[in-house]
Amino acid sequence: MASVEIQNVRKAYGDVETIKGVSVDVPDGAFVVLVGPSGCGKSTLLRMIAGLEDISGGTIRIDGRVINEVEPKNRDIAMVFQNYALYPHMTIAENMGFSLRLAKKSKEEIAERVNDAARILGLTDYLKRYPKQLSGGQRQRVAMGRAIVRNPKVFLFDEPLSNLDAKLRVQMRAELKDIHARIKTTTVYVTHDQIEAMTMADRIVVMRDGIVEQVGAPLELYDKPVNTFVASFIGSPSMNFLSGKVAEDCKSVLTENGVRLPLGPEASVLAGTAVTYGIRPEHLAIASGNEGIPITVTNIEPTGSETFVQGTVDGQKFSAQLRERLFIKTGEVLNLALAPTNSHIFDAATGMRLG
Amino acid sequence: MTTNSVNYIEPTTEELSEGVRLRRRKRAINFAIDVFLIVVSILMLLPLVFLVANAFKTPAEMLSWPPTIIPRDPTIANFSAVLGETPLLRWIGNSIAFAVMSTIAIVATSAIAGYIFGKFRFRTLNILFALFLATAIVPFEVYMIPLYFQAKSLGILNSVWGLLLGYLVMSFGIFLIRQNVIHSIPDELLEAARIDGAGEFWIFLHIVLPLLRGALGALAVLAFFQAWTAFAWPMIVATTRTSYTIEVGLALFQTGFTVDLGRLSAASATVLIPSILLFVILRRNFVQGVASTGLKE
Repeated sequence: MASVEIQNVRKAYGDVETIKGVSVDVPDGAFVVLVGPSGCGKSTLLRMIAGLEDISGGTIRIDGRVINEVEPKNRDIAMVFQNYALYPHMTIAENMGFSLRLAKKSKEEIAERVNDAARILGLTDYLKRYPKQLSGGQRQRVAMGRAIVRNPKVFLFDEPLSNLDAKLRVQMRAELKDIHARIKTTTVYVTHDQIEAMTMADRIVVMRDGIVEQVGAPLELYDKPVNTFVASFIGSPSMNFLSGKVAEDCKSVLTENGVRLPLGPEASVLAGTAVTYGIRPEHLAIASGNEGIPITVTNIEPTGSETFVQGTVDGQKFSAQLRERLFIKTGEVLNLALAPTNSHIFDAATGMRLG
Repeated sequence: MTTNSVNYIEPTTEELSEGVRLRRRKRAINFAIDVFLIVVSILMLLPLVFLVANAFKTPAEMLSWPPTIIPRDPTIANFSAVLGETPLLRWIGNSIAFAVMSTIAIVATSAIAGYIFGKFRFRTLNILFALFLATAIVPFEVYMIPLYFQAKSLGILNSVWGLLLGYLVMSFGIFLIRQNVIHSIPDELLEAARIDGAGEFWIFLHIVLPLLRGALGALAVLAFFQAWTAFAWPMIVATTRTSYTIEVGLALFQTGFTVDLGRLSAASATVLIPSILLFVILRRNFVQGVASTGLKE
């Protein structure tokens, strides 16, 4: 086990800089998830930790040692790829024991360690098969087994669940988390799926355009996003944003046509400031009477357990996830109540959090 | 619901006859396809059958009309004459040595170059690859003469090494392997191996080569037959009777004024044996390598 320290790391391809000075600390034994939209540089950063990409600037340390110029094989890491990267011409046992064979371990030791990993992953019955004879989930487990047998200092995962179907993804998510809880190896995990990030991570690093937007525990990011990007990226369905100005009393925000949105006690904003008001769809409820935010409904999606409503508030897109069942039609106006403490206020110009 | 209450609708007579008609038509089309394919295969096989038959015929029967498929009076005189008077086995040996060595050289150079062109990305490599491909459009006959002088100055005329000089590299082979590498070997496979501690040569030997087996098998067959049927280059490099390849040797039966059909047929029939054997052994690889890029996980 080891910590990973990434300090002011940069990556440039010619004149184009894709990683623009990223600093992240991964404590010993932590499960850190790098998340962000496609092209944000998360995979590149992971590949730089693995040694598959050169580092243009800054330093990366594993267990205190600078590994910028160290060959991948000498970094004591194991990586799991999105497409599993299993050797098609080798059996599962050979695939899993591959790195040990290269390290010239004895046959007995290889067999023992492969069997141990196979037991952890429930692959014991498949050791003599070939990758093409296994299902997607099993292949993914083999890829993890290959990483586990090495007993490395750090695990690197590059979108390992993206190729699985939705049900299997949920199952593998739990299995991965369970394995990490048991073997406690420092893990850096890349995904574009914020739900994966929220459910698995100790800490999440949200990236965009080669920079880190926010680092924190999953619920910290959910409760206190530092800007509108993090606020919209974390949480599903996405946060609603309404633009408006802080009212004279500094206790609410008024949209252009006068819809009043209550401010939380933490918000310290000056009257007249142009702001973006954020509220998560799941923090809304049906208001009694004519109070609350009037939403003109354009679409209703009942899922049984809850109802997802889409519509507009003062001409701006708005959605709500309600526990109640609704008996209204599209085009009608629904009044929604919200607790001021659940609101988020961002600067309209910079998108940064104000309270 | 009970089965009694189900209302089956019987097909009308017209529908039935339509079905019968369609089925008959389908059968007729299949039959026509079979007949066509049989005729084509007979046309392709007939020369070979006649070649083998002629080898067992007397000179008189060979020129008689209509030609016979099964010799009336089979003789092995042609074979004994060919084997006794010409070093046919030596020529076959030369051809086999030349073809095998050329195959090994072409498979080796194509595998290495194809892999490098497919997986290592440098701008200079693209230029080199373009140059390699460009050589494919230059006919061999164009650079045959400079190559001859090269062989001469190396002192390897009239030897297998001289023959080999023109058949070490095949630009199509490099292209074929490069395409296969790009389509069937994902980068992650190589990166995983690098992280696991494998060196570049180890990766090539234990991961890339096994995955290219199909394509290399197909290339081996192509390379073997290219060398086996080579004529112009062996003709100018091998000038002594003992250094001929079989192609050059066979040409000797055909002089400016006469063609010794009996012996030519006997020699040609003998020559068919190794070619057919090799194709039978490598048939599966050949079909696989050409038909698919394979190995997509």
